[in-house]
Amino acid sequence: MRRVTPDTIAVVDLAVCDRCGLCLPLCPPEAIHLELNVLTVDDAACTGCEKCVGPCPVGALSMVPYA
Amino acid sequence: MPDVDVLVVGAGPAGAVAAWHAKQAARELDVVLLERDRAVGSPVRCAEGVGDAGLREFANPDGADWVSRRITDVIFQAPDDTEVVLGDCGLGWILDRTRFDAHLAAEAAASGAQVLVGAEATGMSRNGDGRWHVRVKERGRDEIYRARIVIGADGVETMVGRWAGLDTRVPARDMESCAQYVLQGIDFNPDAIYLQFSNAIAPGGYAWIFPKAVGVANVGLGLVALKTNGRNAREHLDAWIARRFPNGARTGYTVGGVIVHTTIKKTYADGVMIAGDAAHMINPLSGGGIVNAMKAGRLAGRGAAAAICAGDTSERRLSTYHDAWMQLLGEDHLKYYRIKQALENVDDASFNKLARTVNKIPQEKRTIGRVFANALIRHPQLIPVAARFFV
Repeated sequence: MRRVTPDTIAVVDLAVCDRCGLCLPLCPPEAIHLELNVLTVDDAACTGCEKCVGPCPVGALSMVPYA
Repeated sequence: MPDVDVLVVGAGPAGAVAAWHAKQAARELDVVLLERDRAVGSPVRCAEGVGDAGLREFANPDGADWVSRRITDVIFQAPDDTEVVLGDCGLGWILDRTRFDAHLAAEAAASGAQVLVGAEATGMSRNGDGRWHVRVKERGRDEIYRARIVIGADGVETMVGRWAGLDTRVPARDMESCAQYVLQGIDFNPDAIYLQFSNAIAPGGYAWIFPKAVGVANVGLGLVALKTNGRNAREHLDAWIARRFPNGARTGYTVGGVIVHTTIKKTYADGVMIAGDAAHMINPLSGGGIVNAMKAGRLAGRGAAAAICAGDTSERRLSTYHDAWMQLLGEDHLKYYRIKQALENVDDASFNKLARTVNKIPQEKRTIGRVFANALIRHPQLIPVAARFFV
């Protein structure tokens, strides 16, 4: 589990996401899950590293302030 | 609670061949093949190209309804569109993956494996009885399958690997972010695949045209996920197509990730084997993975059957699967990966120069070996570029 609370975390826009699964192995804390055709980012596990954002082939992931 | 010997998660080429060969190796075993989606082979996330020799180890493409196109030529395109035609790259095929995957699943079923579609594994735990208890969601209901061996053939996002505690993560520099359209009504040589290398078009990767019929092709590209520079794969592809095929009709699209890394350090655990894309068994230079997946599936299926028949499904026993894979192809991938790393910063000017050098060789004499030798003699600085083109 992460040590520091991040300023921003990743969110997925499910209207854009194609469920290709590319982002799952890119996520260092394995915070992204794909189950029953829905991609989810675990808020409590995301470290805000942004490693999933640029690689998404359709731009479905973005960073939002962590509140 | 269904009790099975081998539970295969994922009915792509790796999983279907694993189920098929597990059952073929030991008819008395209960083998179940799970497919998450409603139909095996759909959605397609693939450019569908495959080499002849590797394919024939598993299926005969002659006259098969799962073939879209026979390919005889490879056309490399430099960043400035200079074409280099190579006729001796060996025969290849463009598959219809929806039908091909269904064909392999039917082989698994014919051997006696049970194929379940719309059945998704959603978690698994190791229980005191020495079996994996796999939670499977099917038609809205949860069912627990007890399995002696679980084969994870669940693709780039592999959850089975995670659940088994294996490290299946990959750095962005070793992930290709890909997008592809099916384009209709475009003009190209339908007997050739086209590969265009350019850091402007597909940084660190390449763009492709894979014919499905006359005038119809999979047109796509893959770029290194770390080099997207603010434009995603689909935007890169839109830009390339706007230039190359502004009048093509887009009748389909797909996106996905191709892991251009080496095999994961450990493809096995107690009662678990991981195969295909899930285990990063992709040629890191070409990005090709279909035949690799089938070869790994065959090793995993046979290995699982032998382990169960011997009464030993321990991690130590299943490590022989990993060793067999590394010997078959995994070690080669380590070499390809080192070449890929050495080539990462080749610029477009070098690609253009190489294409022009190679085109001075008459086409009938333009064998890979000759092109290679020629390029190296005249332009020793192009050795790494030549390797990228022709290895």
